[in-house]
Amino acid sequence: MLKNLYDFKKDLNRRGVFFCFSGPVSQELLVEIGATLKQKMRLEETRNSTALRVFSMVVEQAQNIIHYSAEKCPKDNDNPPTENAEELSIGIIAVGYEDQHYFVLCGNRIRNQDIGRLRERLVNLQKMGKDELKKFYKQERRKGPSPGSRGAGLGFIDMAKKASKPIEFDFRKIDGNFSFFSSKTVI
Amino acid sequence: MENLKLEATRYTPAISFDCERHVLEINGESYPENIAEFYAPVFSWVEEYLEQLEDQEVMVNMELIYFNSSSSKILLDFFELLEDASSNGKRITVSWIYEEEDEDTQEFGEEFQEDFESLKFNLVQKNS
Repeated sequence: MLKNLYDFKKDLNRRGVFFCFSGPVSQELLVEIGATLKQKMRLEETRNSTALRVFSMVVEQAQNIIHYSAEKCPKDNDNPPTENAEELSIGIIAVGYEDQHYFVLCGNRIRNQDIGRLRERLVNLQKMGKDELKKFYKQERRKGPSPGSRGAGLGFIDMAKKASKPIEFDFRKIDGNFSFFSSKTVI
Repeated sequence: MENLKLEATRYTPAISFDCERHVLEINGESYPENIAEFYAPVFSWVEEYLEQLEDQEVMVNMELIYFNSSSSKILLDFFELLEDASSNGKRITVSWIYEEEDEDTQEFGEEFQEDFESLKFNLVQKNS
């Protein structure tokens, strides 16, 4: 890895990625990542509203990892998380710039049994235009979260609304229990 | 009852609810990990306040730079409390304050505005 580190960095840069984190994600880390990204974009004179959108995607994605990643520390934590149990969620977040647009990549482990529902939800969002997304967002917000959701269940709709392109996603099978879920949002 | 004052943190807004001047202010960013925990005391204060409120005019000033999607649900719940009180004759005015070039916060304000009938909900653009 020592000899490959520079190649790894060059590879990220070649793909437009200027920020990448892989490992345990916490709320405190999210705040620091957000602050540093905002500082970078300010120094590069990115429009305020664009910087705020990038920041909001990073927050939603990082909090998705925190709430839903099926890869945890400590490892053998196989039970559904309880409110007070201390644990860390593991995932990967990358932020980049290509074709005049910022993008946010996010990945985490997911249980195979949860893929169907998530895929259906994301495919559904991909088909919606701006007005439909707005309507759907308001309707879901009124309805309140579905069982099993740890936030308001609005994260992906919010991202789809703020994104300039439909959210892309991918599931890669790891073993009989888990897959790796990746998504890309373009601002 | 007593005023409610919470200092802003890096991911929770400043809350300044004044039951003598009848001014309720929420100011800053809102994206806590555990949303219910932060907002529970805020909601109990508002419920108690609306109970004892008579015909005084209430100003609610909302100046949020950023809020995550779960905070957006909380804001809807908050405005619904105010909407119910307004339908019962309370005199409440919400000012939704946003920066000039912040289209997302402006749009959120417009979407809330569309959702309420009795509640006076004003959009206020701040010139930066």
